[in-house]
Amino acid sequence: MSDAPADPDALARGARPRSIGARIRRVEDPRLLTGHGSFTDDRIVPDALHVAFRRSDHAHALIRSVDVAAAAALPGVVAVLTAADLADLAPVRATSRMRDYHATAQAPLATGKVRYVGEPVVAVLAESRYLAEDALELVEIAFEGLGPVSDPEAAAREGATLLHEEAGTNVLARREFARGDVEAAMAQAPVRVGGRFRMHRKTPAAMENRSYLAEYDRGRRLLTLTSSTQIPGIVRDLLVELLDLPGHGVRVVAPDVGGGFGGKASLYQEEVLVAVLARRLGRPVRWTSDRLEDLISTSQGFDERVEAELGLDADGRILALRADVVGDVGAYSIYPWTAALEPVQVVSFLPGPYRVPAYRGRVRAVCTSKAPTGPYRGVGRPVSTFVMERLIDMAAGRLGLDPAEIRRRNLVRPDEFPYRTASGIVWDRSAFTESLAAVLEAADYAGLRAAQARARAEGRLVGIGLATYAELTGIGSRISAAPGMPINTGTEQTTIRLDSTGAVTAAFGVASHGQGLETTLAQVIADELGCRIEDVQILQGDSAAVAHGTGTYASRSAVLGGGAATLASRDLKAKLLRAASHLLEAGTDDLEARDGAIRVAGTDRAVTFRQVARAVYSEMGRLPKDAREELESTRVYDPFFGTATSATHLCLLEIDPATCRVRLDRLVVAEDCGRIINPMIVDGQVHGAVAQGIGAALYEEVVYDAGGQLLSASLADYVVPAASEVPPIDIVHLEAELPATVGGFRGMGEGGTIGAPAAIANALADALSPFGIAVTELPVTPERLFRLMAAARTPAASNPPKEPSSWISS
Amino acid sequence: MKPAAFDYARPGSLEEVVSILAGAGGDAKVLAGGQSLVPLLNFRMLRPAILVDINRVPGLSALEADGTGLRVGALTRHHTLETSRLVRARFPVLATAMAHVAHLAIRNRGTAGGSLSHADPAAELPMLALLLDAEIHTRSPAGSGRHAAGGFFLGPLVSALAEDEVVTEIVLPGLPPGTGWGFEEFAQRSGDFAIAAAAATVTLEGGRIAQARLALTGVDETPIRLAAVEADLVGARPGEALARAAAEHARTAVNPNSDLKASAEYRRRLVAALVARVLASAWARAGGGAPAPDGAAERDGAAERDGAAEPDREGSP
Repeated sequence: MSDAPADPDALARGARPRSIGARIRRVEDPRLLTGHGSFTDDRIVPDALHVAFRRSDHAHALIRSVDVAAAAALPGVVAVLTAADLADLAPVRATSRMRDYHATAQAPLATGKVRYVGEPVVAVLAESRYLAEDALELVEIAFEGLGPVSDPEAAAREGATLLHEEAGTNVLARREFARGDVEAAMAQAPVRVGGRFRMHRKTPAAMENRSYLAEYDRGRRLLTLTSSTQIPGIVRDLLVELLDLPGHGVRVVAPDVGGGFGGKASLYQEEVLVAVLARRLGRPVRWTSDRLEDLISTSQGFDERVEAELGLDADGRILALRADVVGDVGAYSIYPWTAALEPVQVVSFLPGPYRVPAYRGRVRAVCTSKAPTGPYRGVGRPVSTFVMERLIDMAAGRLGLDPAEIRRRNLVRPDEFPYRTASGIVWDRSAFTESLAAVLEAADYAGLRAAQARARAEGRLVGIGLATYAELTGIGSRISAAPGMPINTGTEQTTIRLDSTGAVTAAFGVASHGQGLETTLAQVIADELGCRIEDVQILQGDSAAVAHGTGTYASRSAVLGGGAATLASRDLKAKLLRAASHLLEAGTDDLEARDGAIRVAGTDRAVTFRQVARAVYSEMGRLPKDAREELESTRVYDPFFGTATSATHLCLLEIDPATCRVRLDRLVVAEDCGRIINPMIVDGQVHGAVAQGIGAALYEEVVYDAGGQLLSASLADYVVPAASEVPPIDIVHLEAELPATVGGFRGMGEGGTIGAPAAIANALADALSPFGIAVTELPVTPERLFRLMAAARTPAASNPPKEPSSWISS
Repeated sequence: MKPAAFDYARPGSLEEVVSILAGAGGDAKVLAGGQSLVPLLNFRMLRPAILVDINRVPGLSALEADGTGLRVGALTRHHTLETSRLVRARFPVLATAMAHVAHLAIRNRGTAGGSLSHADPAAELPMLALLLDAEIHTRSPAGSGRHAAGGFFLGPLVSALAEDEVVTEIVLPGLPPGTGWGFEEFAQRSGDFAIAAAAATVTLEGGRIAQARLALTGVDETPIRLAAVEADLVGARPGEALARAAAEHARTAVNPNSDLKASAEYRRRLVAALVARVLASAWARAGGGAPAPDGAAERDGAAERDGAAEPDREGSP
């Protein structure tokens, strides 16, 4: 703690938090970095059965017949199941109060027909995964093709082949946001820019594949699902309903989880199946996805087509914005978020951090015969930010304005908060304009533009790109994380207790899968309670730990978990001080708690937490009976609305005209996430999220062919950036004004993925601006860039002998 | 993604190896580093009856130079080729190319003999074998055999090896004095298979090109040599116009495939760019000027950036 903030006076007073704000190393890292983490697949269960799935190789087909006889006869095979064997199980439906929404029925195994390549059809249970996969080869399935439903725009038309006949349409959700008379405002706008934008489909590609282990204790009638999930509480609640078990008869535990990025934030068929089979057979059942299965069946994201137009006055001030979004949501409406989650957020966040007087955003979520989509880091906002930030730059180009200047003219100003956006989101004050100014200063923007002019004079294709965005984080109960969803994602609970030895244990419903919550929540508790971080043990990712909790997603855990931790710590501290006041014979106002001890201020009289705990629990007689309060507090925190987090990203890059290689030279991020609990963890989240944004901008693309076959089915074909593809990232932390959340925290786990693609797209467009090339489609892969440059006949002939060194003077 | 059942043998001599191969009647695979073989087994794209592990066969890891050139044992690991002083001194183009083979963990296991036998059409070592006119020594029940690299690669993942034949050694003939080299690869990511890569050696005599060798990978069903382009270079004086002409010649000489990563047209453009660059590097190094030592100048910016991107740098603003 030597690197705690230097404010000796405040520290001496004990008034200022001592670990919040410090670059404290993550307490989980020694475990994870030395191979002592314990992930679902690490759990050794001697007599577990292994499941393997025969998955559909058809995009859309009737299942005419399934012959499992040969597979079932193979030695070591315990059972072979089809949908018929699970007929007593109700299908899962992600319901919503949203109008014009159609839920889809999804059973653990495809029933009647298959709707995407990779959908599980037959499950084999065997003594080993090897034997199970041997048996899969003996399963005979007769399919009758129904024709793929590949193009969402065609699928949305009347008369299209239906994926879910009972819905009567492939449009699973539609929504419109409107403010003002957008037609009139657009008609009067002297400057109009627009285009058709496309973000291709992504997959989260977490390092740990999905993994589930179900154990059923018949004696205790307890089903335990160990799951690589981000949402143990939601999975528990669903299993209770599905299996008609009491809540305390189902426990869902997410142990160490190797990344999720949203891909582990939904319920999966395999998860339900292992639970059902373990209960039915009375034997542990496990399944761990291999990478191929992960790439074809884990929820995908970001697959939108956006027609958008921006109208401005002659000074570059926005007058109107309109957009029509088609989201390709894949084959099912995923539980619990629904198919509306991603595409609706594209239109609700499209106006971004700007003043947009007139707006109309329409969206349709269209099902297709591809893997279901779900939440993916950034949800909707990477796409909305890409589109809006491109429009802003296109407008700047048309008006001859600098991209920084047009943003200054349109960003919501500090005196305009709280600001209600055209789609109804309310921004509390956040560093919209300040982050732009900070990025320009940190990057020496004027100097960069001068360097760019010199490089251009040499024929070099160098680009500078800006992107400013705002997002809503730490969402409370007033706003549903997904539209109309019947699940409360707006509260989190914690129970913090001092046990009879004086140790502090705090149980949460959040479920860290890489965010470092064991560290940051301990920092919050240590400061509020007056103990050391190492005195605090965080329990999380266990549905049995708290009465209600949903998990970790949507940039919520620091805000909601940190808020609940603050409230419960304060309660518990008050109890500690009351007990100590008896022991020290001093008024509670004269007491201060620090480093796990309570002192009479200005004296050397003190009792440790352990001594207080003993007096309360063990050493009867030291405290009056009425003064022995239980040293425990449970509190729920509900931020009610949520809070804005904002940032500006700046990207510098160069294109090699001979090879069309894009070299990222530098990224600068200025962000406002309120009060920072741990700057090192915030930096890490920004680095990781920006890397994923680089993937979205330049590398990652799930590719289906016209027949619905997945072509990007390995990590050689689905290209995730590695450390060598990530340039230096400079980060500026800002605190415009603390939000009204308890603790002053804002969520920030997703932001990098929101800003980086737009900044990179703008930098590419800037580099190519001498040739009038529009960047409207991400990722800009080498092939795509080649086609853009070939169409614009950019000169490749200069053909420098080597890739040039950086154009930025360091 | 688990392999089908197979038998496993770990013989201690080449005689045993080829005898098992012969006995399996084409249903055996040789296991060396396993970096390409094991994924194919796991995908069940290969289902051999038996794997013959040659890692315990003595005498297959030699790496030595003699009057005729460099002898590379079949079990020499990629990382050894990348870092060996001997290779760096005699064939810096090979050491440089090997740094582009996948990632360190893979280079620590993957072997020279395995890479040639696997005959991936986008791999680096087959291209280098072709460029450097390697002779590939083998053993079969009939005795020792030799293949010129020029006739060894027959198609994607298809080599001239017989079912009972195993690579024992790769012999690289020494380069004449006054030879410079160049290597360039375009992959989407550091460590990926090449979308296109080019390598050249150029020998200068009296300021003119006495010998030129130019090889490509990633742009055809096998690595290829560009004999016609090489022939046009011989006798010419190096220069920018010559590089441009050779690049254009190479662009039209190749007949690349289109795939998920790159179209044929884009690969042609890459061929032109990479050929111009490898020739310029090669004759700069051959031209008596100080060639870049150990290929350090050939590394692209990514390697340099690694150090600068220290993620938890203290004191970042």
